Amino acid sequence: MLFRRILFDRITGWWMIATLVTILLMPVIIGVGLCLKALPLFEHQSLFNLLGSSVWAPSKGEFGFLPFILSSVYVTLLSFIFAVPVCILSAIYLTQFASRHLIRIMYPVIDILAGLPSVIYGVWGILIIVPFISEKLAPLFNITSSGYSMMAGGLVLAIMCIPYMLNVLIEVFKTVPAGMKEASLSLGATHWESVKHVVIRKSYSGILSSFGLAIAKALGETMAVMMVVGNRVQIPKTPFEAGYPLPALIANNYGEMLSIPMYDSALMFAALLLLIIILLLNLVFRFFIYRSQKHES
Amino acid sequence: MNRRKQIEEIVFKLLSGLAAYSLIFILGFIILIIFIKGFNALSLDMIIKPPKGGYYYGGEGGVLNAIVGSLYIAIGATLIAVVIGMPAALYINVHLIKQKRTQNTIRYLLDALWGIPSIVYGAFGFTLMLYLGMNASLLAGIITVALLITPILVRTFDEVLTTIPKGLHEASFALGSTKAETAYRVMMKQGFSGFITAVLLAFGRGIGDAASVLFTAGYTDLIPVNLNEPAATLPLAIFFQLSSPIPEVRERAYAAAVILTIIILIVSLTARLLSAKYSKSNLK
Amino acid sequence: MKTRIAILILIYLVIFSACVSKKRAEEAINVSGAFALYPMVVRWSEQYKKEHPEIRFNISAGGAGKGMADALSGTVDLGMFSRGITKQEKDKGVWWISLAIDAVLPTISSDNPFLSQLRAEGLSQDEFKSIFIDGSINDWAEVISSNNKAGIMVYTRSDACGAAETWADFLGGKQENLDGIGIYGDPGLAEAVSKDMYGIGFNNTNYVFDINTGKKRPGMEVIPIDINNNGKIDTVESFYDSLNDLLKAVGNGIYPFPPARELYFVSNGKPVKQAVMDFIRWTLSEGQKYVLEAGYVPLDQAELNIQLKNLD
Repeated sequence: MLFRRILFDRITGWWMIATLVTILLMPVIIGVGLCLKALPLFEHQSLFNLLGSSVWAPSKGEFGFLPFILSSVYVTLLSFIFAVPVCILSAIYLTQFASRHLIRIMYPVIDILAGLPSVIYGVWGILIIVPFISEKLAPLFNITSSGYSMMAGGLVLAIMCIPYMLNVLIEVFKTVPAGMKEASLSLGATHWESVKHVVIRKSYSGILSSFGLAIAKALGETMAVMMVVGNRVQIPKTPFEAGYPLPALIANNYGEMLSIPMYDSALMFAALLLLIIILLLNLVFRFFIYRSQKHES
Repeated sequence: MNRRKQIEEIVFKLLSGLAAYSLIFILGFIILIIFIKGFNALSLDMIIKPPKGGYYYGGEGGVLNAIVGSLYIAIGATLIAVVIGMPAALYINVHLIKQKRTQNTIRYLLDALWGIPSIVYGAFGFTLMLYLGMNASLLAGIITVALLITPILVRTFDEVLTTIPKGLHEASFALGSTKAETAYRVMMKQGFSGFITAVLLAFGRGIGDAASVLFTAGYTDLIPVNLNEPAATLPLAIFFQLSSPIPEVRERAYAAAVILTIIILIVSLTARLLSAKYSKSNLK
Repeated sequence: MKTRIAILILIYLVIFSACVSKKRAEEAINVSGAFALYPMVVRWSEQYKKEHPEIRFNISAGGAGKGMADALSGTVDLGMFSRGITKQEKDKGVWWISLAIDAVLPTISSDNPFLSQLRAEGLSQDEFKSIFIDGSINDWAEVISSNNKAGIMVYTRSDACGAAETWADFLGGKQENLDGIGIYGDPGLAEAVSKDMYGIGFNNTNYVFDINTGKKRPGMEVIPIDINNNGKIDTVESFYDSLNDLLKAVGNGIYPFPPARELYFVSNGKPVKQAVMDFIRWTLSEGQKYVLEAGYVPLDQAELNIQLKNLD
């Protein structure tokens, strides 16, 4: 009886370690696999050239990834600027000032939006956002734009990230102990002041992790962005110009992979770039979250 | 001083209220449009029939192929994720309970994994497929999606497990259980509804993702009967319907989107209900 | 315990499906690729199944590039292809069969204010090149004698596709040289152009003309190509009002080739599946009678004979 239990323990213990190691090795395996496929690129161009050049001429064998990297960063930043203030303010309102009823309605709304397939966001973007930009927004600044632009990508991405951010932010704000808020109020602070000094301060790490979540999602989102961003190989100078983020590059040109020499290596390299950027970002965010958690306690 | 505070208070209350309500308005607007367009094109035929020839060109039939294909892939991938992910999450919380630093490192790596875009998994899955000589099939799709959702399962389950008080571990060990028994008999029982939540979340992600199946699962008008056949998926069905020159077919894409959304809604509502149940009756 | 049962069930399923699949795989034909060929292959598969009900077709679109990538990597049996095959692809061992002919047309919105002038004067190959590739012409006033300046908004395809490569070929470049807003997919591009009155783009015939009515789809218009470069569209150059006229012009070689082009099935070496070869043989013989009604130009008999020889 005891032997059987110990055997069970050993076998399952071994299996558990095996699975954990496999999972943890996954990013390494994926990274190595992509690296191997991207290797042929380096015979013709140095890493510096690949990352810094803006010349994209695959049939001549020249691959400059700079426009794609910058487009990715630009559109993510735009979506961030649109989403963050709205999300934080809304989350504050929903958890602090509004009735409990409102939050209950919000939950299914958030769930539905998080579950909507991204092609649908793309279609919605084409139907509503693109004409909005070309007919109403751009003329305000005296610019002609087709509407397929960084701005469109940023807006669509913002709408896609908002459900996730809101979810985390609501959870985070809710878990601030009510006692602290009440202590602050009893000391004579106004409602908003309590919110500002107590709730937000205590939730720094949570807010940061919601940011990390949103950025990772925005950087990696493929289909919706591809449909509205204009897919033009250039470094966009204004948000009304088109751009070409990394995931769109991979999805659009998947078909040419085997037809042009080294194109498959180039696309795998793009995937590798995405992987590395996101891993690095995660590191940075984790570090700040860790720091702010230390401050909290 | 008081005046300023009062103004600040009013301003921010207004601002945040404005933000919240306009957000609700916009989000509700999106859902409304999709549902209205979708229900217009939705018919019983769409759910129960696979497409007849030339469906994307105006023919008859429905998207049963995609519904079944998506379910197959999501269920298969979730099974793999459970088999691989559940033991891993339990291990972190039971065997490593004393090693906080290791735990934190592992959690960081898991977070990083969660952030990897699905297109990277798709690209990797495609490379793997070629390397193994597979053709675009149900199996390739299942493997790629499994890669995508396992981190989600592990991380969510792990979050749940961390809320179980350490006292339970110690009591279990004190009573003479082995580590495995603590993990599977005690922790699982305690965290069971949290486990179900994690499974449902992973499932929801697996069924709705397009980029990972775009290169790997292929597409077909038929319902796959074995692992080696290509499988249609709802996101791709939507995509191909949108690519048709015929406007009626494009309208049908919204109906497919509504079907997908309803499936995901059912899944996430169940997950929310279960997690609410879980947080109330913590220690039985 | 539960996980162990689950694993056993999984292993059983995998083994089971591997055993059953051989015969079924032999009777399945997997096709993917160009949007341009999709309606044709679908029509063919419907007719073919009437005589061979045991054959199952799995057809999906996704662009010519996807078709080639899928075919060369062996993930499908046949790729649908809508542009010329490159040396690189031939080196990889691609095998191909010509099926039919269709064309890429330059498109504008039916709301374009210069429509009537454009229809009367057309644009020459050089002018198209300056618009799509060089960017040296970027205002409608430069190609149409008009006083209203209006910027030309160039649209192209973002996905690797036959239409863009063929159009670029006509202009002496490659798809990557086309400089414009990249829209995904044929219908996406058609819609973008039809909504932008200053827009210019290009589409496959099936996305410009409605196969049932033979007329152009609402919102779409075609810029006639000024083939002889004389600054106006002569009667012989004017055939864009109905699909039949256009197809006739393509078939007679009046419409330039490119942007008219051959459509192919491609595969990684000669297909080994008997079912696939039988199907291809059928498309080149009995299948040809469905080509015209599907909106394409059939190959002439001499060409068909050459292709049939390739099968043996």
